[in-house]
Amino acid sequence: MKHLKSFNKKAQLLEKAVADGTTEDVVAMQTVVGCTSTNDPGWEVDPFGGLGSLCQPMESDLYGCADACWWPAQVPDTMSTHPGWSQDVAKANEDWRQIDSVFPDED
Amino acid sequence: MNNKLKRALSGGGVLALASLMAAPLSAASQSGAQLLQERCTSCHTPTADGGLSRISEQRKTPEGWMTTLNRMQSQRGLRISADERRAIIKYLADTQGLAPAETSGKRYLLEQTPNVLDDTPAEYAEMCARCHSGARFALQRRTEGEWERLVHFHMGQFPTLEFHALSRDRAWFELAVSDVVPQLATDFPLKSTAWDQWQQADKPAPAGGWTVAGYLPGKGEFSATLTLNAKGDDHYGLTLSGQYADGSPLTGQGSAVVYTGYELRASLTVAGVKMRQVLALSADGSRMQGRMFPRGATEMGGELSAIKAGHSAILAISPAYIRQGESRTLTLTGNGLTGKVRLASGLKLDQVISRSATQLVLKVSAQSGAQPGLRRIQVGSSAMQVALYDQLVRVDVVPADSIARVGGNGGKQAKVNATYRAVGYAAGKDGKAGTEDDLALGYMPASWSLKPFDAVAEHDKDLDYAGTIDARGVFTPGDAGLNPERKMSTNNVGQLAVVATVKTVATEQQGQARLLVTVQDYIKSPLQ
Repeated sequence: MKHLKSFNKKAQLLEKAVADGTTEDVVAMQTVVGCTSTNDPGWEVDPFGGLGSLCQPMESDLYGCADACWWPAQVPDTMSTHPGWSQDVAKANEDWRQIDSVFPDED
Repeated sequence: MNNKLKRALSGGGVLALASLMAAPLSAASQSGAQLLQERCTSCHTPTADGGLSRISEQRKTPEGWMTTLNRMQSQRGLRISADERRAIIKYLADTQGLAPAETSGKRYLLEQTPNVLDDTPAEYAEMCARCHSGARFALQRRTEGEWERLVHFHMGQFPTLEFHALSRDRAWFELAVSDVVPQLATDFPLKSTAWDQWQQADKPAPAGGWTVAGYLPGKGEFSATLTLNAKGDDHYGLTLSGQYADGSPLTGQGSAVVYTGYELRASLTVAGVKMRQVLALSADGSRMQGRMFPRGATEMGGELSAIKAGHSAILAISPAYIRQGESRTLTLTGNGLTGKVRLASGLKLDQVISRSATQLVLKVSAQSGAQPGLRRIQVGSSAMQVALYDQLVRVDVVPADSIARVGGNGGKQAKVNATYRAVGYAAGKDGKAGTEDDLALGYMPASWSLKPFDAVAEHDKDLDYAGTIDARGVFTPGDAGLNPERKMSTNNVGQLAVVATVKTVATEQQGQARLLVTVQDYIKSPLQ
């Protein structure tokens, strides 16, 4: 690593996390039940246990990840499981209020 | 017309036609076994041992079978009425459920407890718990062939998982089939002694009166009477009547079903709010343990324990601590609290303020020179310990790692709060705070505040946007949506430290928890 120089923000964060020995904290936040630990990119939490490397605001890139079912337990995957989810909301960053959750019918 | 609407209309059409052609029998008159034959055998075929393909090779919790039926309905074209669905879930949970010992340690998922850290072995964490909890599969039992089919299902249903880290960088499919599947079949096998024994065991019915002690965030501790009236076939009417620690009333009514001989699931309305209870009955039928939470805000629930009428026990003592030289009012909740009150050395009974069979309010003082440690309070043959302590030296905030989710602001997802309690500690025998022998004092009243978690949070002004905390330790996150006030219109996410300040006469201590305020969850699953 000593011949490599961090080029972007994410790489700098990674270097810092390793140097600080904060990997334990990172693991803690990613193992909160309900959160995904798929974090390249992450949904709730980034690879460093924080928010700095998430796609933000999430509405701007939501469908880019939902279409590819990147976090299928958090965001409905429109590839296989929920093809009609949010299909009437063309621009998530403008009409995010119309996007609903997928609810199982519990009754 | 969108796909969802099209599906709903076509489904409704099929149902309407079916009901015109042949009025369906009510679910009560049909057994789950019959329904399984009628509704599932167009895909699932009979097996040599009298079962049905795939179905007979799995055991699941009631929520597990519900999730399966959800998927069959939404993905595989199953059309059934709500009554039929309930009957099938009941039948499968009863005949192919999990024994109490098999759900032990994983009940937090059934109870929808928020902010639990998943303690999953690495081979499962890296293969399965990347997307969902480890408990989600640890609460299932399957044959090896069925575990392997589950891998194939994931590959087919979520094909882009091939591109995930821990897939793209290793031969994940081969690893899953050759290593993880046999391990799952060993750790979570279809056939088990625990299940064989549970099927043979007597399963006492919970009908009757129960004394319960519990806690709800924002409301506090409560004690109440829970009454279950048998309606037949493991169904019960339910009433809840009691009060919170501040004297305000707690009443509710609803219904309950017992699955698998011990899994009680109740729906009730408390002060206009629809609540649920997820409780496990003890093998002897004398105790229930679990959680109660609002249906639409599962994080705003708390633990609940119950003891049946006719059994004596102390369920809770509040508070569970007393300082040297101090005089305190202690409230005991339980059943059969009619016997003689005896206090361990160092404690003295000053007064019995009030007493009934289910609640005992005592004025107790602790000697100033008494040795710190746990002390027994005994009522008749029942006992529970309280902590006699010298000085508060440490405060932990629980949960230590937590998330909240933005919501509201005209959108369709409610905010997901985070709730906290403060646990006090004395130093213990070694006189040092933060060591193994610290004496836990239980939950203590605290004042609550927030601060930026780190320099990044400070720079991004997370404190201004991510949310607020109230005097009872309930954090409410910020509004959903893009926030043009923030750089790049970032959502109102943030990293905060939740600080509890606990004051005693002698000292003041602070503890803190980490809080990540993050984005919405668009999939509401009973098993995350």
